[in-house]
Amino acid sequence: MIIPMLEPEFLMGIGVLVTLVLAMVVRERSNTAYWSGLVFAVAAGVRSFTLHPAAHLVGGMMVADGYGLVVNIMVTAAVAAGLLLAFDSGRYTVEFPALILLAGLGGMIMGLAANFILLFLGLELLSLPLYILAASRRDARSGEAGLKYLLTGAFSSGVLLFGMALLYGSTGTVTFINYTTLHLIPVLLGAGLALVIVGLGYKLAIVPFHMWVPDVYEGSPTPVTTFMAFGTKVAAAAALLRVLAFGFALTSGVWGLALGYFAVLTMLAGNLLALPQRDLKRLLAWSGVGNAGYVLVGIASHTVSGAQAALFYLLPYGMAIVLAFGVIRVLEGQQEGAQMEDLTGLAHREPWLAAGLTVALLSLAGIPLTAGFFGKFYLIKGALQGDQWGMAIGLVVATIVSLGVYFRPIQYMFREGEGRPAQWSVGAAVVVAGAAFVTLFIGVYPQPLLHFVAHAATFTWLR
Amino acid sequence: MIGFIILAVLALGFALAVVVAKHPVHSALALVGHVVVLAVFYLLLKAEFLAAAQVIVYAGAIMILFLFVVTLLTAGKEDQDARESLPAQRGIAAFLAILGGALLAGTAVRVAGTPAAGRAPTGYGGLLDMGRLLWGPDFPYLALVALMLLTAALGVIVLNRPEPAGAPVKEGR
Repeated sequence: MIIPMLEPEFLMGIGVLVTLVLAMVVRERSNTAYWSGLVFAVAAGVRSFTLHPAAHLVGGMMVADGYGLVVNIMVTAAVAAGLLLAFDSGRYTVEFPALILLAGLGGMIMGLAANFILLFLGLELLSLPLYILAASRRDARSGEAGLKYLLTGAFSSGVLLFGMALLYGSTGTVTFINYTTLHLIPVLLGAGLALVIVGLGYKLAIVPFHMWVPDVYEGSPTPVTTFMAFGTKVAAAAALLRVLAFGFALTSGVWGLALGYFAVLTMLAGNLLALPQRDLKRLLAWSGVGNAGYVLVGIASHTVSGAQAALFYLLPYGMAIVLAFGVIRVLEGQQEGAQMEDLTGLAHREPWLAAGLTVALLSLAGIPLTAGFFGKFYLIKGALQGDQWGMAIGLVVATIVSLGVYFRPIQYMFREGEGRPAQWSVGAAVVVAGAAFVTLFIGVYPQPLLHFVAHAATFTWLR
Repeated sequence: MIGFIILAVLALGFALAVVVAKHPVHSALALVGHVVVLAVFYLLLKAEFLAAAQVIVYAGAIMILFLFVVTLLTAGKEDQDARESLPAQRGIAAFLAILGGALLAGTAVRVAGTPAAGRAPTGYGGLLDMGRLLWGPDFPYLALVALMLLTAALGVIVLNRPEPAGAPVKEGR
């Protein structure tokens, strides 16, 4: 059973156990568990990067291929970012590293799942630690976030399970590869597929399954929100892409249309509702909803280039959102959350911090020389190659709206006046610098990454 | 067939009672009934292991825990509903829920009578077969469930840790 392609997953699993034991053994206020979690997350990410992608179907339950490796790299990056932003066992508990590693392992499982049982187990393993982490701060807001996330998450899991049961009942199999020969979608199968899309849509936070997002993102501790915004979204989008583009490739006419409408609705609603937000975490939460719509464009266009664009876009989006949350973490200091007014005069007081946030916001808006530009460029290209003009137009309109969202914080940073003083920590500085570097590097020289991702996403068409 | 119909009516009735009952203890008891009826369903389908697990785990362990929580926390107390900011949301939600339920029910009516694809092999769902699967090819599932239980145990530790000494008491906990 132990095959080389699964080494990153085994590393994460061992990391969970080692981190837990360390958290138990060492004295209370030490950050040893954080170091251990960081080492294992980075090791799993590096191992995923160095593995040679090959496509095996393991026991009819997982595909170890390049696609899974790309998901691994992004999820481990999210875990590392969350750990670096926390890195204080006094403020965030000693169990934080083990829990976030568990969530990361769940995300990695979702990336390589090739049947619905494993997909569901991965989703639950991703969600359970996040419910706990969301509620781990000791105040009413955090409790509200945890409970809200738990209830909506449990409900969406129920919907997903119902859909899986219907799919199993109508086809007699839960393995994606057995769906690849379907040309028609009978009624029962259609109902099952619709419920599966809804269940995964909750996790991906697409409109109309998004209402939990702002409160949960605002109430959770910032490092947890960072992981949710990047890791959860990557895992959910990857699983949705694998189910639809790999399993139901021949019946794309049925689900492509529905997803197209969801995509346009999500892009417009997410960006429009981000406009009036004054709390920075809520603003980024709505922006995350809008970005889920962009990813959906790539999936719904059901072309190879669309799938590649969807997988590619997850990295620019994730880097920008991690960068923005890193800046919020520096700004918030010992309190939680940051308002728009706290940014006042930031460009004069903390030029590097202001530069970091500016890069993040420009990338989210899709301005050239940042990674977000190429992400959106390839998404539009994918949509047009699939002859989906509506989605391309929707994406452009949503991007124009989003300029209003992302330029307002920049305007505040250049105002005269006194905002909140920044409190740098080494971990946050590493996250801000690293994410800014990757964002700018991809924005100037996207070729190597594009090649890597394009290669990985075509593997989903291997039969 | 007649047995199936009786059981189905019973299961639906208990499920409705869970939602409709005003008192949480009544809801919990109705849930016990529902779970037991489901176990009988499993027995009819020759899945003895599932039936036994259903009764022991759900009707036994989980429901007792649930009753304990109900008695300790909210027995008999009425919670004040928070004021809603969107006036029409209940109506719209009810409409959409009925629409979705009607679509699913319509699907059920349309496909009623067609056998499920793929016949289960003999002994499927029995104790021996279950064990062979779980400790054989399906072992990764078992490992993942074990990690989930570990997460749940961690959750209990994290969420129940007492306030650190000297920390200001905050609202809500």
